Amino acid sequence: MVAPSMVLIAIVALWPIIYAIWLSMHEYSLRQAGLSRWASPAGFGNYQDALQSAEFWSATRVTFIFTIASVILETILGLAMAMAMHSAFKGQGLLRTVVLVPWAVLTVVTAIMWKTIFDPNLGFVNSLLGTSTVWLGQEPHALMVMIFADVWKTAPFMALLLLAGLQVIPGEIYEAAKVDGATAMQRFRKITLPLLMPALLVALIFRTLDALRAFDLPKVLTNGANDTTTLSLLAQRTFQENRLYGEGSALSILTFIIVMAVSFAYIRLVGGNIRGMTEE
Amino acid sequence: MQIQWRRNAALLLGCAVFATAGIAGCGDDDDGGGGGEGGGESAETGTTEGAKTIDPASMEGAKGDVTFCLGKDTSGDKTALNKKFNEENPDIKGELLEFSTSADEQRAQFVQRQEAKSGECDVFYSDVIWTAEFASQKWIFDMTPYVQERESEVIPATLETVNYDGKLWGMPQQTDAAFLYYRTDQVKEKPATWQEAYQRAADNDGIVYQGAPYEGLTCDFLELAYAAGGEVLNEDGTQAVIDSPENVKALQFMVDGVKDGTAARGVTTYMEEESRRYFESGKATFMRNWPYAYALGEKKGTAVAGKFDVMPFPEFEGAGKAAILGGHNLVISVFTDNPGAALKYVDFLTQEEQQIIEFRDFTLAPTLASVYDNGAIQKKYPFAADLKESVAQARARPVSPVYPQISQAIYKNVNEALAGRTSPEDAMKAAQSEMQSALETF
Repeated sequence: MVAPSMVLIAIVALWPIIYAIWLSMHEYSLRQAGLSRWASPAGFGNYQDALQSAEFWSATRVTFIFTIASVILETILGLAMAMAMHSAFKGQGLLRTVVLVPWAVLTVVTAIMWKTIFDPNLGFVNSLLGTSTVWLGQEPHALMVMIFADVWKTAPFMALLLLAGLQVIPGEIYEAAKVDGATAMQRFRKITLPLLMPALLVALIFRTLDALRAFDLPKVLTNGANDTTTLSLLAQRTFQENRLYGEGSALSILTFIIVMAVSFAYIRLVGGNIRGMTEE
Repeated sequence: MQIQWRRNAALLLGCAVFATAGIAGCGDDDDGGGGGEGGGESAETGTTEGAKTIDPASMEGAKGDVTFCLGKDTSGDKTALNKKFNEENPDIKGELLEFSTSADEQRAQFVQRQEAKSGECDVFYSDVIWTAEFASQKWIFDMTPYVQERESEVIPATLETVNYDGKLWGMPQQTDAAFLYYRTDQVKEKPATWQEAYQRAADNDGIVYQGAPYEGLTCDFLELAYAAGGEVLNEDGTQAVIDSPENVKALQFMVDGVKDGTAARGVTTYMEEESRRYFESGKATFMRNWPYAYALGEKKGTAVAGKFDVMPFPEFEGAGKAAILGGHNLVISVFTDNPGAALKYVDFLTQEEQQIIEFRDFTLAPTLASVYDNGAIQKKYPFAADLKESVAQARARPVSPVYPQISQAIYKNVNEALAGRTSPEDAMKAAQSEMQSALETF
């Protein structure tokens, strides 16, 4: 039974990657259409070009700022939302449903919505704040709006994952702690946080990898202007719009390597922690 | 717990890998060609030697099926015309294959089919900016003999968009050129120059156009740059010549407008729809936009209904007039197995009768000059004469197989200058060098 699934994985997951790597090591010449479309192998030339271009490093910087800022904010907000939803009160079911609405909205729709809201003349942000800021037309405001929109959309997702984590913590532990005279803060730090850690880490990894690949938000909000070009946007533009298949693939592979490195770092750093915590 | 964790991690990594590779994996299929034969050798720039040429006589008695690939037919005009075609040509069965509404996606869909040498699309509704690229790839028929026969009927400017390497690669079917919209309650006399228009705008409520970094800004900039006497590429399209005093002057003019507040605040983030809403809310005296905004602006409920009019672009002081052509050309795929029927289809869609229907019922500007002078059309669309003038003074965007990169170099740098992050001189220098390296990739 293993063999067929391995074949399936190879076809579906491995082949595109291998093909992308192969593409990235070749120079695709638009001029030789139909004749011999692949010029001599380019070796690591495409990678060299990418690593030497200011565009790549700027996109890397933007991607990381976006990822770090949005994931931290989402985690804090998501945790607060999860705790609120966890406590028993009337209308709990309704709240849980309502909170999830932003997550259910397509990212493209989210982006169009925030773009309208942040419109300098007709949007309500400026009339609310009494300002006349051109939000999406300058640095670093454009990136801030992008982070804001992402947090708005994905904090509920964080909350949902964390809520699931909260619900498996047995109530007795809290009761025992209360009997022992632990304060609310102590209960949060010594019980909730450690026991929530596995769920939190899964949520963190999910969101981090997602944020590192952010594409639709910058595409719709700014089309990469004002310092909002992420790695995925750059790769897509190079590959699809400009049909520089070699360079575009190299950019995708570099993005892929970055995402891989970050995931490994996560597992190394926090995977060990989890083991430590559960063995304690 | 540990094993569980590891498995989760592996699963997550799988997702990440998959999603990332998706960017690169979504391209074309390798046709396996190439390999040994002199890949390194380069032919002459823009060579289209050996391209297949269409035979106008093949239309006679053509039979069989024709598939017309196009973007989503949201207005329904092509569906209606296809039906009419089938009724009038019982020997040929025309069918529509609709792609996405997104222009980028339409191009990608067609490119994928051509790279795979698929004959699925016999006729394609090509945006005017793609025709050169398709021709350079030898994906479409050289239609010179057919188009030349009909040259006199067509507005000459539209033929510029199908001209690549001295040959004509498609039949212009639908065209577009932007207008200068103005408020009749604020501006009594049409401005004769752009400078005058900006002056009036400054005295009243300003001007709005498309300043966001995308294709629209390329058009908006080129309209002024061409009018000021600037060029983007040299005659044979091999050299970038955008870094010229004329272009800097045109850009400086735009930048000044943003700086002194004549242009709407936030114009650097505006596309067509944002500009239209801004103008319709009564906040601007002038707007640069395509003709589609006319009917929408006249609808009840806008602040400007009955209070605005349109005009072809004025001239740039001390230089000339210009506009940028939009629209679509009909091209025929070289992988079609029925060129005769395909040409018959193209011929049908570009006859006066059909073009009148498209203009009258669907507000799509035709490429045949005679349609604009049709009495019924002029009655329904008071701006028909203005539009004809706009189209006639319009020019094609730079014709180049690497057009997407050329356009990016323009809109990115112009936007930077408008936002005040760089000077017009530096923006044009940067655009020049980016274009030059893009031209070298071809």
